[in-house]
Amino acid sequence: MCILMKKLNSIYIIDDDPITVFGIRKMLKAITICKDITEFENGRVALEALKQRVEQGLPCPDVIFLDINMPIMDGWEFLEELVSLNIRERIIINVITSSIDPIDYKRWNEFRLKCWHYLNFKNKPLYKIEPTDLSRVHMAS
Amino acid sequence: MKTSETLIPPYFLKQFPSATAVVGKDGVLVDATHSWFQIFEAETSSGKPIHMYFKGQVELTKNQLNQYLFGTKEKTFRHAKMDQDQELWYESTSSPWFDEEENLLGCFIHTQEITELVQNELELERISSHLKAKSEVAKIGSWEYDIATEELFWCEETKKIHQVAPDYVPTISEGIGFYKQGYSRNRIAMLFHNIVENGTPYHEKLTIITKKGEERWVAAAGKAIRKDGEIAKIFGTFQDIHDQVMADKKIRESEQLLNTLIDNLPINVFVKDKDSRKILVNKAECEYLGTTPEALLGKTDFDLYDKHVAQISRDEDLEVMRTMEPMIGRETINVRKDGSTTNFLTSKIPILDLNGKANGIIGMSMDITNIKQKEEQLRNLINVTAIQNKKLINFAHIVSHNLRSHTANFSMLLDFLIRETDEKEKKRIMKMLFHASDNLLDTLENLNEVVDISTNVNLDKKSLNLSENITKMQQNLSAFLEEHQVEFENFVPDDLMVLSVPAYLESILLNLVTNAVKYRHPDRSPLIELRAVKQDKHVHFSVSDNGLGIDLKRYGDKIFGMYKTFHNNKDARGLGLYIIKNQLEAMDGSISVSSEADKGSTFNVYFNEETE
Repeated sequence: MCILMKKLNSIYIIDDDPITVFGIRKMLKAITICKDITEFENGRVALEALKQRVEQGLPCPDVIFLDINMPIMDGWEFLEELVSLNIRERIIINVITSSIDPIDYKRWNEFRLKCWHYLNFKNKPLYKIEPTDLSRVHMAS
Repeated sequence: MKTSETLIPPYFLKQFPSATAVVGKDGVLVDATHSWFQIFEAETSSGKPIHMYFKGQVELTKNQLNQYLFGTKEKTFRHAKMDQDQELWYESTSSPWFDEEENLLGCFIHTQEITELVQNELELERISSHLKAKSEVAKIGSWEYDIATEELFWCEETKKIHQVAPDYVPTISEGIGFYKQGYSRNRIAMLFHNIVENGTPYHEKLTIITKKGEERWVAAAGKAIRKDGEIAKIFGTFQDIHDQVMADKKIRESEQLLNTLIDNLPINVFVKDKDSRKILVNKAECEYLGTTPEALLGKTDFDLYDKHVAQISRDEDLEVMRTMEPMIGRETINVRKDGSTTNFLTSKIPILDLNGKANGIIGMSMDITNIKQKEEQLRNLINVTAIQNKKLINFAHIVSHNLRSHTANFSMLLDFLIRETDEKEKKRIMKMLFHASDNLLDTLENLNEVVDISTNVNLDKKSLNLSENITKMQQNLSAFLEEHQVEFENFVPDDLMVLSVPAYLESILLNLVTNAVKYRHPDRSPLIELRAVKQDKHVHFSVSDNGLGIDLKRYGDKIFGMYKTFHNNKDARGLGLYIIKNQLEAMDGSISVSSEADKGSTFNVYFNEETE
């Protein structure tokens, strides 16, 4: 087992709970080097920021941590909008929820099948972020 | 003596008054009267063998003739001849002819026409066999009693009915003894006495016990026959009517059973003819229409029910008679002339005549008004239950989700804490843990508030003055309202009362007004318009603002949901609307919203004013 410090250009954390955001930041510190970690407290502000990035021709974030239950615009609505944006890059999106409702898992699976991006499903509590949550390319290759 | 001497002179024989012939021992005709020759259509010449003369006669052979003629005893025989399609019958009697010494010389033949007699005999035979057959077929026996001789005669059939042997000879006391002891025997004894004494005829249905011990119903009749004014004979008939009586009895019993059944069925039964006129109604139908069977017979539905309902019923009748298919268990609504309605479960069955054509219907209607009402209540109950169930599931999800998110945070933070070595970082994590604990307590408090509403079964609704409560709310919120320079336009009538739990009304007013201020438009100071109007069964209270408005297309179904906030507002708990919706529903009221983004929102509250 070889743990490599993965270098990433940009990460979005979309979650209205400051404790979870704190947790994700702390866990990321242990596995990756990334100078650009931005947090958003709901889907709407994240989407606006993303749109701006695309308009300015900047590269999209490599990884997004996405909460489901949020005010204004929730995780599902955000995903719906993201799909319609037609972004060429494949973003790794980690859907994070405390919900254990099977309906949420089903919905995630539907998005996974129709979405161009890589979708992971992670239940809270989180203890650790795996390399596969950050990259799809095989480390050894 | 010589034969020739004993011969009867021809002139002598010729003078015989009846047709007579004399035949010699040798079988040759000696002589005959003129009338005899006429019968046998022969020349008045003798000297031929006797059978030659009989040749034209039918029903007689030569051998038979010889046997008849040449015996030592007198013999009578019949013969016939055809005369122009008519059969003429004769009877000849031969008697031996002896001389003085008893020597047989031959025989005499006397012949006379008996056509009429034979015909009478045939007729009699025909009549008697006819009578016998008739008596056998109709099972009608006859009897005759001779007053003088006290002799009783029973015909064959009468004996058969009594099951006695054909050679049985009854006496009158035996005859009466066959009747069943008790009513039948007493009755027949009296009737017989009367007919003998006074000639009173009778016809009576009584029971006998036959020779074999069987009890059977008979029809016994008697009629006196008078001779010179005196009763000479009693003639009577005797008929086995047992099967008939039993069948009649059975029919009557079945009829009785059927009538009892139809009358006491707890459903309305009616029979209609092809013009839909009632021709039979049972007790239940009469009771339903509050009248007697006599008043209903011949009536149509148009006479009894509302015109519209009657037409539907008539159409059903016609359809059933046309298709000859029964209509089974259709739910119908009947409206009587007085306007009262009844729900029925109705079946109509076509009645077919002997040619297989429908000429009426049998109808059965069961009153299901009560069942229908129960069904309606049940359906309402199911609806309420379904709504409550949905609410409960929704609530369970909220609870599990919210509690789970806090515990997940605890778990994560504790995991960090255990592994952390840096004291400064440890302190930071501890601070986070306290924060998580506060959040959990807040959530629990919120949930408690919701549970309180849902479990508040014994609502203490009171009639409250809306205007006074609004003033109270404004006083309580005075600092807050002043801070945001809120203006009110209050159109609520001073005397308008609403039925509500006091604490709920307070909560509703507080939440709606603070919401209106919280989601105010950044470009203008908040203006809140309050209106209330008493409607049929509720009070409609509305709170309108000039705030941000809500995109209802997007959030319409979620606005009253728990933990749903739609504006980027730090104060939003996503609980206020959820709670007042629950409070209103607990009081059988409701709340709805209309809104336009950037213009403002109006919340419409309906207080239920019906007291149960």
